[in-house]
Amino acid sequence: MDWAGWAVFGLVATTLLTCVMIAAQMAGLTRLDLPLLLGTLVTADPDRARAAGFLVHLAMGQVFALGYAAVFALLDRATWWLGAILGLLHVTIALAALVPLLAGVNPRMASYRAGPSSTAVLEPPGLLGLNYGIQTPAVAIVAHLVYGTALGLLLTP
Amino acid sequence: MARELPPIEEYGLIGDTRTAALVAGDGAIDWLCVPSFDGVPVFARLVGGATAGTFEVAPAGPATLSQRRYRPDSASLETTWDCGGGTLTLTDGMVAEVAERLLPTTLLVRRLEAAGRPIEVVINFDPRFGERRVQPRVERRGALLFCSWRRIALSVQASGGAVVEPGQPYRAVVMPDEPLTVSVCVADREPLVHVPPDAAWSALEDDEIRWRKWCLGITHDVPHRPAVVRSLLTLRLLTYSPTGAPVAAPTTSLPEELGGVRNWDYRYAWPRDASIGIGAFLGVGKDNEARRFMAWLRNATRLDRPRLPVLLDLHGRRPRPERELKGWPGYRGSVPVRSGNGAANQRQLDGYGWVLDAAWLLTRAEWRLYGETWRAMAAFADKIATQWRSTDAGIWEVRGDEAHHVHSKLMAWLALDRALRIAERRRTSAKRVRRWREQRDAVAAEIRERGFDPELGSYTRSYGSRDLDAALLVLPLLDIEPADSSRIRGTIDAIRRVLGAGGPLVYRYTPGSDGLPGTEGAFLACSFWLVQALAATGRRREASQLFDELIGCGSGLGLYAEEMDPTSHRLIGNYPQALSHAALVQAALALRDAALSDAGEVTPAESPQPEQAAERRAADADAARSGRRRRV
Repeated sequence: MDWAGWAVFGLVATTLLTCVMIAAQMAGLTRLDLPLLLGTLVTADPDRARAAGFLVHLAMGQVFALGYAAVFALLDRATWWLGAILGLLHVTIALAALVPLLAGVNPRMASYRAGPSSTAVLEPPGLLGLNYGIQTPAVAIVAHLVYGTALGLLLTP
Repeated sequence: MARELPPIEEYGLIGDTRTAALVAGDGAIDWLCVPSFDGVPVFARLVGGATAGTFEVAPAGPATLSQRRYRPDSASLETTWDCGGGTLTLTDGMVAEVAERLLPTTLLVRRLEAAGRPIEVVINFDPRFGERRVQPRVERRGALLFCSWRRIALSVQASGGAVVEPGQPYRAVVMPDEPLTVSVCVADREPLVHVPPDAAWSALEDDEIRWRKWCLGITHDVPHRPAVVRSLLTLRLLTYSPTGAPVAAPTTSLPEELGGVRNWDYRYAWPRDASIGIGAFLGVGKDNEARRFMAWLRNATRLDRPRLPVLLDLHGRRPRPERELKGWPGYRGSVPVRSGNGAANQRQLDGYGWVLDAAWLLTRAEWRLYGETWRAMAAFADKIATQWRSTDAGIWEVRGDEAHHVHSKLMAWLALDRALRIAERRRTSAKRVRRWREQRDAVAAEIRERGFDPELGSYTRSYGSRDLDAALLVLPLLDIEPADSSRIRGTIDAIRRVLGAGGPLVYRYTPGSDGLPGTEGAFLACSFWLVQALAATGRRREASQLFDELIGCGSGLGLYAEEMDPTSHRLIGNYPQALSHAALVQAALALRDAALSDAGEVTPAESPQPEQAAERRAADADAARSGRRRRV
């Protein structure tokens, strides 16, 4: 397995993914902000949360990149289109399972069951993150295609 | 024979801060959307006709309504009938606090208690689904009745072996000391959680304790405190807890004129309402609720910044396009019934002023704005600095009436003025501050020159017009000129003279001048703004008298619709309306501040009240523990 490539290009791919997400936010396409969602696990200040969340996101991206590297090693091939397919699988898991689960672990994120005593201020993401804007799934798919394609191009089996 | 719908003010509100139901004095729930305020209606007879679903629980024989009230400082509604030799009391409520417990997201509880003698009751559970009023697929499993459609399922269970069937009135006898409780659990795209009636009742009682505790934190020094507490409870019930969005009203298309066409969908959140709510909650010591509104404003407006959207759905998205529901007969023949709100597409400039003023109120109350909150506010100020010269639709959202509304210009001034005040406490570039100051001064000069009619002695509705606008009653609260100036006094007097609708009631603009057929009632928020204006201009006695009269204008339960018919004194328009209740609280606070000011004491805005101080001390302690300042 390409351990050196994983160590370096995992960070590169996650940074690219984050850049796509931030660009989409800046363009007003989505309110999905993964660094903020992750960073509010440790602080309520949105600016500090984004900094902390970016580091957490980098670490998570590195863990996912390990999966990509393992699949490339198992199949003994690493191509951009294989990376893109894995990116699609990755984004499906992220939107359908991981992001909605955040409401259960992040005390600052409300759930649909929140009541009057809730002090959580982050809205729940909803199905496929649609509460953060109707284009959220499309933006997430593009970002993860970029991530997967980058790994497919940069890693060796 | 089809039952005639009761007057709007005979409905009581129950809710769980995610959705809400309206309960008539005859025990019928005629309005409930699930699982959220803007969800699918399952009981919609209020505007959808006899086949749109209802849930009746009432005495079977002759009975007279003897009392309706909320249980003290709670959201549980009690309806009592005199049944000849005995009384029957129906208690309705929805369980708000379901987190960390295995309870359904929506849990409706109805309990009947007889006193004096056994009383026969009738239960008619008849849910329908959505616009097409679809009957449910029904299944019975023991004592449980299941009603399901594609994504929504309801389970109904009654105590004492009662067997409820959908659409078929069921008769039972309630014995003294043996209450009959019905629990309705709702699931939306998730497994149903069944809660036995007694457990549901117990959960509702736990909720009541929480609501009473919540009410204890409300300042005690306001006039008509019970009305203020009911208004705050109503505002909290109309705040969607999962996101903190303030819902303008839980209903759609309750008419502003009986039989008329002014029927709009208010199941959305207006940034303006959130901002007014911040002032109301801060003023009574409920800082946490105020902070949640600001958090909602920060999160929900993110996609549109620096433009401030007119209204949003409960999750900060653009509302559905406005359309008319086919075949819905409306409340007492008031059609069309609308879903969605076309005002979302309007350009309104006043919202920037409300939002920046709310940010200033929080800053003044020593809540430091997060960097992101301040960037959002500064972006709004930048936007209004470049946009204030445009025409807009104005606060009243009249369709096709873009003009240079004086109220909108005033609010543009307010936005820039409050941004400058906050900037004194934040690092802001000198260039930006200079631009805001120049534009603020330019707005003020233009308003004085083009927005004031010397002959009328009043500011006007729009440039060059001789019409008046009751929204201008906020003038004395802005500091654009001294509150006792002849222009402000003249404006208040002119509005009372021209737009007065008798007693404390005020039209928002000349009735019938909005281009729609028919007319409308007096706008209740404007009446409360009149109280505020009088209190702020040294006419406390008049203000106090009007406020006393307005307290009598609510429903018997202390609820207010958007408007009141000045002739029949019936409430009209969507009900209950958050803006009316927030304005009531603001009026009470203005009277309190005026009384303190007259007595030469420091006003609470400058010195927090004990309850407020307690909440802030708690926040300070939290902040100290986390090593951070109190921030919002």
